[in-house]
Amino acid sequence: MDFLTFARGPALRVSIGVFCIGVVWRIMGFVLLRIRRERSLARESMPRYLSEGLLAIATRSWPHPEFVRRTGAGEAIGYSYHMGLFVVVLLFGPHITFFASLFGFTWPGLPSSVITVISVVTLTLFLAVLFRRVTNPVIRMLSNFDDYFSWFITMSVLVTGIATTAHVGLSYETLLAVHILSVDGLLLWFPFGKLMHAFYIFPSRAINGAILARRGAAS
Amino acid sequence: MSAAPAAISVGEMLRRHGISRRGFIKYCTATASALALPPWMGPAMAAQLRDGPRPSVIYLSFQECTGCFESLTCSFAPTIEDLMFDVISLDYDDTLMAAAGDAAGSALAAAMRDNHGKYILVVDGSIPTGASGACCTAGGRTAEAILREAAAGAAAIVAVGTCAAFGGIPFADPNPTGAWPVSAIIPERPIVNVSGCPPIAEVITGTLLQLVTTGKLPDLDGHGRPKAYFGNNIHDRCYRRPFYDQGKFAKSFDDEGARSGWCLYELGCKGPTTFNACATIKWNGGTSFPIESGHGCLGCSEPNFWDKGSFYAALDTPDWGKAGESTGTQVVELTGGAVAAGLVLGVASAGTSRLRQHHSAGSGNKPGAEGE
Amino acid sequence: MNRLAAIAVRLESLPGAASPLPPPAPAGRGNCVDAILSELAGLLERLDTHQVAATLDLRSLPMSPADRAELQRVLGPGELRATLVASGESTIVDTAIPGIWWTRHHDATGTLTAELLEVTRIPPILVNDPGELPAASAALRALIAARQRAAS
Repeated sequence: MDFLTFARGPALRVSIGVFCIGVVWRIMGFVLLRIRRERSLARESMPRYLSEGLLAIATRSWPHPEFVRRTGAGEAIGYSYHMGLFVVVLLFGPHITFFASLFGFTWPGLPSSVITVISVVTLTLFLAVLFRRVTNPVIRMLSNFDDYFSWFITMSVLVTGIATTAHVGLSYETLLAVHILSVDGLLLWFPFGKLMHAFYIFPSRAINGAILARRGAAS
Repeated sequence: MSAAPAAISVGEMLRRHGISRRGFIKYCTATASALALPPWMGPAMAAQLRDGPRPSVIYLSFQECTGCFESLTCSFAPTIEDLMFDVISLDYDDTLMAAAGDAAGSALAAAMRDNHGKYILVVDGSIPTGASGACCTAGGRTAEAILREAAAGAAAIVAVGTCAAFGGIPFADPNPTGAWPVSAIIPERPIVNVSGCPPIAEVITGTLLQLVTTGKLPDLDGHGRPKAYFGNNIHDRCYRRPFYDQGKFAKSFDDEGARSGWCLYELGCKGPTTFNACATIKWNGGTSFPIESGHGCLGCSEPNFWDKGSFYAALDTPDWGKAGESTGTQVVELTGGAVAAGLVLGVASAGTSRLRQHHSAGSGNKPGAEGE
Repeated sequence: MNRLAAIAVRLESLPGAASPLPPPAPAGRGNCVDAILSELAGLLERLDTHQVAATLDLRSLPMSPADRAELQRVLGPGELRATLVASGESTIVDTAIPGIWWTRHHDATGTLTAELLEVTRIPPILVNDPGELPAASAALRALIAARQRAAS
């Protein structure tokens, strides 16, 4: 079996399977945990503190004014490369074809030239983010294998994707196979590291916001 | 077929067919140009061939559909294919010869004996080894036995067509006849693989011409194919490439994009992973090639092209190989099963975590029932 | 069959309508004309000093139609124009620069099979092969003898 057939065949199948198993496992793993019963009186009604919990997703998405000077740039870069990744993954023609073959429906995309520009900008921001992690002493101290590997696996998908579209380096068949294999690797790693923040981040902000709002401490 | 090929020179043969010396120089010049050989080689090839004896060629056909031979012999105009048969002495060929039965067997034996060590062996079709080779026999002998004997006395071996070069359609899953390419049966000799289903006629004749004039194998790629014809992939020479680069793809056959000549990548074109000369030399004397006619490349000159997924699934889509089941059904099965497994694991994990929560709660801090 | 004429027929495209092929590559000029001229100059000098002929295969060089036209204009027309009729027609044209010839070979179907720039005193394909002369001589004598017999 040649490289490309393996990458888009059995390897992809196994990775999607492991991704689904892992994500559902981890989500179920925390959803079913016991939650300490709130013994204080509710300061707000339930509909109100639940809706304030949802609002917390938005309000906690940007640093408080006192911290913006120190952390604002990092936040902005983070949002920018996330948006860049979403645009490239969801609005690039060949990717839309890929998802269409899985889900059965398509959506309009962006011209390839626009995607190329966005992907190069995203790549630059990715490198900036690593630079910050390595040079900032506090962040460096807090960083572990999970941080670096999650960065590496996402970066390899981006880099191999750009190389494949630009037809640069090896033969197209090899480049495409390596790109698909890197996606397989991302899917395999996803449920077991910090990339799970994709599923945790919104529920955790909402739950914490709801609990605080119930205690009358919404902000 | 000539009984004594050495007696008639190429020049004499050409004269008998009305091809002048200058006409032959033109043909060799054109072939040298197509082979990307230095221009001075054209007249040199002509001079060398004209005065020498006609090289002997033995053409053996095994498990094949005869498409490769058709490609070689059926041309619209008396062009290079006819000239080819004037240049070479085709001393044995199943399809063209008049002999049959024992006479055919004797003809092959005589051809091999008279030109031992000097003939070029051209093979098309794969060689079956299943059922002790009974799937392809001639005169009571298996294809494998005939090939081994013929290869022993051959100066060079050319495998024409994807079946002979890589196994082709008989080799495709589940390979019921136990088919193998020529290079698997004769691993110790260098084989020139002229793959394609079928190969372009000019590619076959150009390779043979280079072989008979230079006496050496042409530069071959990693699959044993002449680099002059298989050095570039279809994608890099395709006239629709500007549309690919601009992201303009046909979404279905005969839609607006297809009518405007847009790229056929999303309709399953295997151009980017296929190496052949279709986009430059084209078919039927330069008339057209599949992409120009509106259908994506099948990748027919590559090994195992029958087993590389649907011809209509784009290269970057999943290929999960189960024939008869749509990708959608397979996705639902896979994710459904995976989600079910994930739920089981999740409940089990949560169960152990809750037990630990209960034990670590200890005194004073009684955890309540499930969350609010 | 008699209701065949009642079926509406719609022409998808008229003969001579624009083909679905994309327009040809932009007609801008690369700098390959200068490169070819420089190479020709070097080969011409070699012909002069060492009497060594050479050939450039134009099909192997990436040239736009504008480049080709420019090259033709620069080299200019010469005094000689030969048409070879053998397995199709070929034209061998002298350029305004002595020693440089432009050769185009076509096969019996009219397809261009080779295009060469030959740096030589005369392209070899125009010259008769010395090996043909004995047979030619004999054939001509036989022709003369036959004519004499017919006359007497």
